[in-house]
Amino acid sequence: MSYIEIQCNDVLSSVIFIVEEQMHELDQASQIEAHLLSCLACQAEVAHERAMHDLLQQSLRRTCTDRAPEDLHEAIHRRLYTEITGTTEVVTQFSMTEISIEIDEFGNIEHREIQIEQTHIQHFIDQDPEK
Amino acid sequence: MTAKDLVLESAADRTTRFERDALIFTDQLYSAALRYTKNPEDARDLVQDTYLKAFTSFHQFEEGTNLRAWLYRVLTTTFINSYRKKQRQPLISNNEIEDWQVAKAQSHTSDQGKSAEVEALEALPDSDIKRALQELPEDFRMVVYFADVEGFAYKEIAEILGVPAGTVMSRLHRGRKQLREKLTDYARELGYETASKSDSSDEGSAQ
Repeated sequence: MSYIEIQCNDVLSSVIFIVEEQMHELDQASQIEAHLLSCLACQAEVAHERAMHDLLQQSLRRTCTDRAPEDLHEAIHRRLYTEITGTTEVVTQFSMTEISIEIDEFGNIEHREIQIEQTHIQHFIDQDPEK
Repeated sequence: MTAKDLVLESAADRTTRFERDALIFTDQLYSAALRYTKNPEDARDLVQDTYLKAFTSFHQFEEGTNLRAWLYRVLTTTFINSYRKKQRQPLISNNEIEDWQVAKAQSHTSDQGKSAEVEALEALPDSDIKRALQELPEDFRMVVYFADVEGFAYKEIAEILGVPAGTVMSRLHRGRKQLREKLTDYARELGYETASKSDSSDEGSAQ
């Protein structure tokens, strides 16, 4: 592949990749680097973009520091507990089946007994969220 | 230990673990929720709904992966599913080209233009910076917020938003560009001389 010299425009339109240090994502990475070494105007542009990026980032971080209202923490806590206590209605079901069949030596059924026991246990968990 | 105790304990344990690991991000999620909803009441509800949803699907969270990023993902899907419908947000239309190359028409700015832009940004009050971010279309606003305020890598942002990484890069580029243009406008209203446009006549057509 022949070496194609790239223009300032190509560097400027890729400046986001340079600022984000993602040059490896670009096909023209090596050409851009070579161009930057020799082009003072592009060097200045990249330096400006970096400076603006840092400045903008600092400004945004300084201004976007909203804290949640005090009572929101408590409200979330309460809703989570309502969620567990409201929906965890535990139903446990035990069932036991006993079948006994007695057969004599001729293969005749002498005695047959089927016993089924079922137990339903329901636990309604209602914990006090304050506990 | 009875069956009842086991059930009680695991539910309580799970809640304790969730509260310990996830609730420390309440302030951060609230701040992001404000960027999405633009008003405190909705942001408040969105954070609560997010935590509730995260709690009920906490078993899907893979231990050892980034819990913070996962919570932002839940926040985003919760917003899209239940809040966005209520709000009329200017979104990027689907057929608009989402390519960073749209920024092709660029030219060098003068030294004077550069220093004027820096000066203007430094002079602007915080309220203007906040306003400029809020005025960006949602897709741009959130990418800029996640990258520049929350410090996520663009691949993480792609996962949070459920869009390709290339789209994130494009939105980041265009979002920052729009933000800077807005800030330049504000500065001009305040009487700052921002010479950044005067030296490049072809810049005016690019928008």
